[in-house]
Amino acid sequence: MSAQLLYGHRPAADYAGVTTTLEPAGEDLLLPDVQIHYALFELPMVAALDCLPPGLHPAIPAHLGYTFWRCDEGPWGAFECAWVGLACRTGIKPRHLVYGAFASNAVVAAELRRRYGFACQLAEVHYRESYDRLHAKISVAGTTLLEVATTRLQAIVGAGATVKYSPALTTVVLDASTTLVQMEASYSFKRVLRGTPQVLSVNTAALGETRLVPGFPMSGTHALADVVLHAPRFKADLVVPAEQGGARKIS
Amino acid sequence: MKFGLIYELSTPRPFTRETQKAVYENAIEQSVLADALGYSTVWCVEHHFLEEYSHASCPEMFLTAVARETQHIRLGFGIATCVPAMHHPIRLAEKAAFLDMLSGGRVEFGTGRSSTWNELGGFNAPVEDTKRSWEEYVRVIPQMWQQERFGYQGTFHQMPERNVLPKPWQDPHPPLWVAVTGQGTELDAADRGMGALILSISDVERNIPRFAAYRDRISRCEPAGAFVNNQIAVANWLFCHPDRDYAWQQGQEMVSTFGYMAGQTVEVSEAYPASNYTALGLLGTLRPDPHAPGQQKPLASGLCFGDPAELIHTVRRWEAAGADHLVFMVQAREIVKHQEVLDSLRLFASEVMPHFSEPKPAQAVGL
Repeated sequence: MSAQLLYGHRPAADYAGVTTTLEPAGEDLLLPDVQIHYALFELPMVAALDCLPPGLHPAIPAHLGYTFWRCDEGPWGAFECAWVGLACRTGIKPRHLVYGAFASNAVVAAELRRRYGFACQLAEVHYRESYDRLHAKISVAGTTLLEVATTRLQAIVGAGATVKYSPALTTVVLDASTTLVQMEASYSFKRVLRGTPQVLSVNTAALGETRLVPGFPMSGTHALADVVLHAPRFKADLVVPAEQGGARKIS
Repeated sequence: MKFGLIYELSTPRPFTRETQKAVYENAIEQSVLADALGYSTVWCVEHHFLEEYSHASCPEMFLTAVARETQHIRLGFGIATCVPAMHHPIRLAEKAAFLDMLSGGRVEFGTGRSSTWNELGGFNAPVEDTKRSWEEYVRVIPQMWQQERFGYQGTFHQMPERNVLPKPWQDPHPPLWVAVTGQGTELDAADRGMGALILSISDVERNIPRFAAYRDRISRCEPAGAFVNNQIAVANWLFCHPDRDYAWQQGQEMVSTFGYMAGQTVEVSEAYPASNYTALGLLGTLRPDPHAPGQQKPLASGLCFGDPAELIHTVRRWEAAGADHLVFMVQAREIVKHQEVLDSLRLFASEVMPHFSEPKPAQAVGL
C-alpha cells in the first residue's frame, strides 16, 4: 500500500525511557463481578496523530477512553483501577494505546504491571454508582487527576453483544526491545447501562499526556461482568505496522 | 443472473481537488462503459465523513451524472440513509422520483440506516432510533410517490397533506431495497417485500441458508410498497484478466486496501453500545483471525477475481446459491489503473456474461 496512509507521528525515540518488563502471567485469572465504567470522548485528530507511534493507525474520528474497574472481591481482594487509552488500530483491529494507569493498591499495580506492562501509579480510584449517575475519580495525594460522571443511564438489552472494549496496548521492554503488548481479557456481561459521559475535571499532564484533551462526548457505559484475564499473546512493533509484519505472537 | 457495479468512491490521500475529481470522473466513465456492455445496475453508496473509505456523500448527484450519459443501466441508491438528522423522508422521495424522471424510470431505491459513529455521531443522530426511523421512512416514502396528496403523523416526522413532487416515472414506483450487513437484516427486507442488497462480503456457502430464509419469509411478506421486490443482490469484487495470477494479485491488493480504509472508521458498536447494533457490521467481516493478528484473513470464497473461465465457475456458484445479482466493487482508492478497470469490465462482459441469462426484467412490476 502507498506511503500516503495515515499513521501516527510520534517518534519511536520518545519511548526510549520505557523500562516496564513482563513476567510470565501463568494461568487465566477470574475476577468476578467487576464493575466497569468506560467513557469515550472525541479529540482532535492532530493530537491523536502526535501521540501515536508510526506502527499504529489512528481511529477516525480520533477518540480516547477512560476505563475504571471496581472489584469488591476476588483473588486480588477489593480494588479499583483505571487507565487512559487512545483509540488506534493495529492493522485494522481497534485498540487503545495506554497513557497513564492507576491502581488503588500495590498488589493490583504489581499484577497489572507484571501481566500486561501497565505502568501503574498508586492512586485513590473512586468508583460509585448512584441512582442518577455513575461517578469515577482518580486522585493522588488529595489532587484530582480525573473526574468523570456518566448520567442518563439506560439499561441495554442484549448486553453481551453490544459492548465491545478495545483491548489495551501497553509499551514494554520485551526480548530486549521496546514493543507494544496487548492486554487479553474476556468478559461475561451480566448487566450493561449506557449514558452520556462528562468530564468534570481533568489534569492531562498528570494523566500522562497533555495533548489528550477530551472533547465531544461519545458514550459512557457501566457494566457488571465476570472478567477473565489471559496471558498476553501478541506484540506489535512501534514502527512497523501490523500489515507489514509488525504484529507477532509472543514466543 | 444480472451484474452491476457499486461505488464507494474511495479516494487516496492527499485529498487534492484533482484527485477527488478524477475519482468521480473515472467512476462515471466506468459506469458509461458498463451501460454499453450490458451491465444491469450501477449503485452508489451514501457515506459521510469516511476519509479515504468513501467520499460518496451525494449519491443522487453521482447517479444523475451517470443517468444523463447512459441509456439502459439502472441507478441504485445504495443506500438512501433513513435517519432524520441526515434526511427528511420527503426529500428522499423527491430526489429519487426526480432522478427516476430524468432517467426514464431507472431508479432502484435502496434504504438503510448507517452503521458508523463517524456518520451518526457527526450528524448528532440518536443511535438508538435508527431502526425505528428506517421503518417509518420505508412505510411513508412509497405513499408519497403513489398518492396525489399525502400527510401523516409519524414518530419522527409529521406533515399535513401535501402533493410530493415529482412522482416517479416507474409505475407504481421504483423497486425498494434494504442494505444488509448484519445477519438477520435480510429477514427485515423479506418481511417488507423488499430486495436484499447484501453488502457484507462472505463465503458463497455461508450465504445459502441466508438466501433460503429470505425466499421463505418474503413469500409471506406484507410489502412496504405497492409490490414485492423479491431479489437478492450480493456485493462482490471484480477483477477479470487473462492472467489469473495477476488478477488475484490485483484483487488481493484491493481487498487489503479496502480493509485498511474500513478499519479506521469507528463502527457504532465500538463507540456507542446499543441493542439495535448488536451484529457485527462490515468490519466484522474484514477482521483477521484474532489468533494471528499479523496475518490477513483468508479471502472469502466466491470473490470474482481470476480469468474468465474461473469467473464463470465462481458466478455459477453464486447462481446456484440463489443470488439474482452480483454487484461489483471494481476499485479501491484508485490502486488499480483506470484503464485496467475498463479492460476488466470489457473482458467480463465479453467472456463471462454471455454464459448467464437474465431470469426476469429489472423494472418494477405491479402485483
